[in-house]
Amino acid sequence: MRILLVLIPISLVLLGIAIAAFFWAVRRGQFEDLDSAAIDILRDDETDAPPRVEDAD
Amino acid sequence: MNALALGANAEVVASDRSCRHCGEAVVTDASEFCCNGCAAAAAWIRDAGLDDYYRLRSADGNRVALEAGDFSAWDRADVQRGHVSETSDGCEITLAVEGLRCAACAWLIDRALLREPGVTSVSVNAVTGRLRLGWKPERVKLSVLLQRLSALGYRPHLAGGVALERERRRERNQLLLRLGVAALATTQAMMFSEALYLDSHGTMPLATRDLFRWLTFLVCTPVVFYSGMPFLAGMARELRLRRPGMDTLAATSILLAYFASLIETLRGGPHVWFDAAAMFVLFLLSARLLERFARLRASARLDLLARAQPALAWRLRESRTEQVPINELAIGDEVRVPADTLVPADGVLLDAHASFDESLLSGESVACEKRVGDTVYAGSIALAQPARLRITGIGTQTRLSQILRLVERAQAQRPALAQTADRIAGVFVVVMFLLALSAFAFWWPLDSGRAFAVALAVLVAACPCALSLAVPAALSAANDALARRGVLVLGADALARLASVDTVLLDKTGTLTCGKPTLMRSEIFDGREQAEVLALAAALERDNRHPLALAFARPVILEIHGQRLHPGLGVEGRHAGHCYRLGRADFACARGDDGALWLSEDGRAIARFQLADPLRSDAAPTMARLRALGLSLQVASGDAEPAVRSACAELGISEFHARQSPEDKLATIRTLQARGRRVLMLGDGINDAPVLAGADVSMAMGQGSALAQRSADILLLGNGLSALPEAIALARRTRRVIRQNFGWALTYNLIAVGIAASGWIHPGWAALGMAGSSLGVTVNALRLSRFESSRA
Repeated sequence: MRILLVLIPISLVLLGIAIAAFFWAVRRGQFEDLDSAAIDILRDDETDAPPRVEDAD
Repeated sequence: MNALALGANAEVVASDRSCRHCGEAVVTDASEFCCNGCAAAAAWIRDAGLDDYYRLRSADGNRVALEAGDFSAWDRADVQRGHVSETSDGCEITLAVEGLRCAACAWLIDRALLREPGVTSVSVNAVTGRLRLGWKPERVKLSVLLQRLSALGYRPHLAGGVALERERRRERNQLLLRLGVAALATTQAMMFSEALYLDSHGTMPLATRDLFRWLTFLVCTPVVFYSGMPFLAGMARELRLRRPGMDTLAATSILLAYFASLIETLRGGPHVWFDAAAMFVLFLLSARLLERFARLRASARLDLLARAQPALAWRLRESRTEQVPINELAIGDEVRVPADTLVPADGVLLDAHASFDESLLSGESVACEKRVGDTVYAGSIALAQPARLRITGIGTQTRLSQILRLVERAQAQRPALAQTADRIAGVFVVVMFLLALSAFAFWWPLDSGRAFAVALAVLVAACPCALSLAVPAALSAANDALARRGVLVLGADALARLASVDTVLLDKTGTLTCGKPTLMRSEIFDGREQAEVLALAAALERDNRHPLALAFARPVILEIHGQRLHPGLGVEGRHAGHCYRLGRADFACARGDDGALWLSEDGRAIARFQLADPLRSDAAPTMARLRALGLSLQVASGDAEPAVRSACAELGISEFHARQSPEDKLATIRTLQARGRRVLMLGDGINDAPVLAGADVSMAMGQGSALAQRSADILLLGNGLSALPEAIALARRTRRVIRQNFGWALTYNLIAVGIAASGWIHPGWAALGMAGSSLGVTVNALRLSRFESSRA
């Protein structure tokens, strides 16, 4: 069970990193504009867009 | 969002060709666009490589005014004061943006502004309609950026000011952080206590066990004291007011589970419940956040409308015009209000006559003709021509803010259902504490070692986790289901009151009818073609903002020259050498005929148009479905009796009140309430605002005035009434689910408390049961979000 002495600190460090990353993201306003990013990914890069079938939604 | 988008689409004028940018009818054959403004916006979007906007959007854009407006005054320090804050790399402002219709709008603004040199950050929230813009003042002026925004069809307004906006953002971020910390740390806490649970035979060495306990304590502490802060603060507030409620109950359970575990850890007792405390916080917090965000989403837009204020006024002093911030205006100042802009303060008109759109104040979108000396109200819009005013009221003295205060007071007087719930919870808390105490007292003489464990088991089992989730979980699921149907619930306990409604009082104009005049009948004289006459009328009325002009809106194919608007009379213009007039009978062809519009050619009558406000197409089926739900229907309208009578006859409504002033309507409601009826009021105008606030539940039409929307409990977006019976059915279903949840939670609590008090159950198992009970309540509530209207 001595492996616990390694695994537990690792899990705590990971937890710390996750929380720090989350704080950073919220403080930087990553959760303020949730729409642009969602649209951005649908956009084709620089190339000509292929003709798109109009689907009813 | 989708509901909004659909509503906007449905509004588009039915025409075989519509503008590629804004979707309005196209005027000339040569162009894809309705006007040069839209063409310029589309050209810019294409040149910037942002053409995808047209592919990604789910609603048409806004019509773009050709003259994008002059924003140079926004660069002035006195205007920016209080709205612009300094950051490490430049300045930052939060703006309220008018015309954000879908996510693609947010994307377009984001890309378009980031492309300007000197812009450091752009963040658009399509839900709240806010734009946060960071820029370097030494590289680009704010006015240039606003010009760009305006040229794309989005009109910027000042939002609530730096302090207010920062507070709003801070609050939101803090909630997100609390939830994030709770979620991450609770997972860890559950992981560590899982190790303890697996050791069911007590074979784990004591040192290892204590290590795991201290670790759980470590990750649990921030959850209880950081994430759980809203509950702890709520308890402190409730105790200060000597009115223990849900927060007291929740916080007590959290703190007891936490500190009892700490004591057990210190004294090496058999069990700890750290994970229960953490899970409790996480569950409660997520339910609370869901409910809060649903409400925020619903009210943000309205909030924005009411706060949007003109940034500047044009003050006339010694025959010079100067732009000043609105808060520098004083009573007695003379101001100029350019066409199509908001009136900054109350005042008297100095020009011979001018027309104003008072729809924000009156809810009736009818142009108001004013003469010299008439009072003009802040918040109305100058139509067609600029006007000069002498200011008589500023700031809180304006009629607009008086009405706002009136509405707020009416809202504050409402007996809150929440207080009843708090009282019940208060009793519950006391009963549970007494129960735990008596269990402790009972066990102490029998087995002093077990007394504390039993008392704790009672409290954990009694922990009203499911009870406190019962209402918010059901409400947020129901709000979500309603929002998807275009019904926004603004009042916290509006749904509960909607469920118990038995009488519906309806306004007529704008509620049962479309609120837009429509051409009902046209008589053509002189052997003219109907198409020709209608084309003439459409061309004459093209640039007229009078609501009656809407009746003639169709693609314009004729050129009219020398168009002139005669306020209160009609319009005049020349085409192919003839002079045409469209308007009142005495104006167009010098004859008397009230109630119809006449078109004349060189003074000779060629057509007579009968306008009327038709019933909404879904009004009749909606009334039938409301009746099927067992509701009694009544109409209260400000209109004359014949119009109300015929509309009611068509809908099969026998009880109606015509010629009602707002006071009459309020009296009607009071009479009904005195007879024990619970009244739902559905209306659209500010005339209705105090009435709406007086009803048991109030609903406003989404296209109605912003003020009426603010005073309403529930808002019907979209372009019809059909969501109304669904909303009532869902509200009743929600009430049923809440009762089931309460029943289940109480039954569970009573049984579990009984078992716990008899010493049969371990606090650990009680905690597990508590979590299961919460899960059951949540799942039951989630059934509401899959609500089908057919099952109503």
